[in-house]
Amino acid sequence: MKNMVIRASLRNWFQLFYVHKFPAAGFRTTADGAIILQSVSNDIYQNLAVEDWIHDNMNLENRQVLFLWRNSPTVVIGRHQNPWQECNLKMMRQKNIKLARRRSGGGTVYHDLGNINLTFFTSKRKYERMENLKLVVKALKCLRPQLDVHATDRCDLLLNRNFKISGTAAKLGRTAYHHCTLLCSADRFLLSSVLKSPYKGIKSNATPSVPASVKNLFEEDPTLTCQIVMDAIAAEYAICHQIDHRVTLINPTDETVFPGINNKTKELQSWEWIYGKTPKFSISTCFNMVYKHSFLEVKVDMDIKHGRIEVCNINLPEEWLPPALCGELEKNLIGSKFCPSEMTALASALLRSCPQDYEVHRRWNLLCENMTTTLM
Amino acid sequence: MALRAVRVLGTNWAPLPALPALRRPRAAPLPPPIRVRGLGTSALLLAARKYTDKHEWISVENGIGTVGISNFAQEALGDVVYCSLPEVGTKLNKQDEFGALESVKAASELYSPLTGEVTEINTALADNPGLVNKSCYNDGWLIKMTVDSPSELDELMSEDAYEKYIKSIED
Repeated sequence: MKNMVIRASLRNWFQLFYVHKFPAAGFRTTADGAIILQSVSNDIYQNLAVEDWIHDNMNLENRQVLFLWRNSPTVVIGRHQNPWQECNLKMMRQKNIKLARRRSGGGTVYHDLGNINLTFFTSKRKYERMENLKLVVKALKCLRPQLDVHATDRCDLLLNRNFKISGTAAKLGRTAYHHCTLLCSADRFLLSSVLKSPYKGIKSNATPSVPASVKNLFEEDPTLTCQIVMDAIAAEYAICHQIDHRVTLINPTDETVFPGINNKTKELQSWEWIYGKTPKFSISTCFNMVYKHSFLEVKVDMDIKHGRIEVCNINLPEEWLPPALCGELEKNLIGSKFCPSEMTALASALLRSCPQDYEVHRRWNLLCENMTTTLM
Repeated sequence: MALRAVRVLGTNWAPLPALPALRRPRAAPLPPPIRVRGLGTSALLLAARKYTDKHEWISVENGIGTVGISNFAQEALGDVVYCSLPEVGTKLNKQDEFGALESVKAASELYSPLTGEVTEINTALADNPGLVNKSCYNDGWLIKMTVDSPSELDELMSEDAYEKYIKSIED
C-alpha cells in the first residue's frame, strides 16, 4: 500500500518535471527540490535508460537528483571505447556477464551487486564532480571516521592512498550528470580477469582505460555493506540539500512514470549501440593452428567499422585450403558483424554451398573456430 | 575584396589561399549569390561567425557552413581526447545532436546550429583531437554542412552578442 502511495506521488512529481520549458507562472517551487531515487532493477540497460530518461525529460534548472543503482554482473565501457581492447569478451560470454556501453565518457568498469552506482543530476551550471565526490567521502567518514578515503585530481576515490574504490564519468548535454562507481563487496578477482583483453594486434584511437589496483570497502571493514553505504550517502545528500532523508524506489520499466523509457532500454541493449558504436579499428595478428602433426601459421588483417568487417585478409600456408574457398570467405566476411555467431553462421553457410571433401571440411572448421576464439 | 574582409574579421583567420585555388564549380561568371542576409553579393566573401547558445559556431561560405566550438567551450571542456562525428550525408535538423567531444571532464554533446546535410568531417581530428583546443576556429573545425534554411542563421548570435552572452553566464 505504502509503495503505491509513493508511486502515485512520484508520478505527479515527475509530471511537474516532464516538460522542457515549464511556464514560470504557476509553478510552485520548494526550497531546493532535490530528490533521491533508487532503482529496484539490477538490469544495466534498464538503469542506464533511467539516466537517459532523466537527462532527456527532466527540467533540472532548479532541481537536483541523486540516483542509486546496482547491477548484476556487467562490464560497462565508456562512450568511445573499444570492447575488444578493454575486456575479455570470450570469458564474459562463458560466465554470462553482460556488456553495456554508457553514454558518458571515461573508462571500463566491472559492476556486480557488490558495487554501488551513484548518479548526480544537476543543471550544467551546477555541474561539479569534486563537490559530489567530497559528499561521498564525507558520508563514508561519518560512517567510519577512521577510514582513509580521499578524492584525487582525476576524480578517483582512493582507499588507503593506493587502492581505487571509485571511478567517475560524466555527460554534458541538455543537462549534466556525473556518475561514479563505489566498490563495497564486489568480486575483485573476477573484475581483474574480465577487464583484461586477450585480443592482440588491435590498432585503434578509441579512448583507453587507465588500469588501477582496486579494493573493496568491506575488505577494510566487514560491516560496510552496500545497503549501509547507500543509506549513508543518501543521508549526507539529504543534509546537503536540506530535504527529508527519503529514498524513493523506482521501477525502470514503468511507462506510466517514465513514458518512452522502454524504447531507451531497447536502444541501449542493441548490437548497433553496444558494438556498432566502436570507433573504427584494425586488427593485424597471427595465430598458430595445430593440424595433424604440423604447426600452421595464419595471418589475419582486418578493418572493422561500426562493428562490421570492412576489409579482410587471411593468409594461410599455400594450398592448405582451396584458394577459391578462402577468397569466398574473405569476400563474404566483408559487411558482416565482427562477432562469433555471425562468423560461425557464415562459415557453415559457405561450406554448405561449396561441396567439399571431409578433409577440407575439417580444415575449414579448424580455421573458423580458431579465428573466432582468437579474434572475437 | 575578400582579403580586405579577412583583415576586418580579426587576426586569427588563416590567410586566404590565392583565388584560383578556391574550389568553384565554374571558372566565370561567379556562382549566384547565396541568400544569406548580411553578406555581399560575392559568394567568395567569408561570412562572419554566428554562434549558438550551446557554444557552437558556424561560418557560411558558398552555401556551405563550417561548424566548430567556441574558445569558451574548448576552455570549459579541457583537453579533448576523442571526437565523435557523424557520417558524411547525415541529415541534421537545427539543434539535433550530431556527435560528442570527450574530454577529461565529460562527454559533451554537439548540437547542430542549422538544418542541413553533412558534406565533410574533419578527419584530422581522429589522430589529433587536441586541434579542437589548439585551434577551435581554424584547424579544429568539426563538420561542414549545407544550409537548407538560410533564415535560421538570423536566429543565431553575432560575435558581439555571443561575447555578451558569455559574460552573463560567467556572472
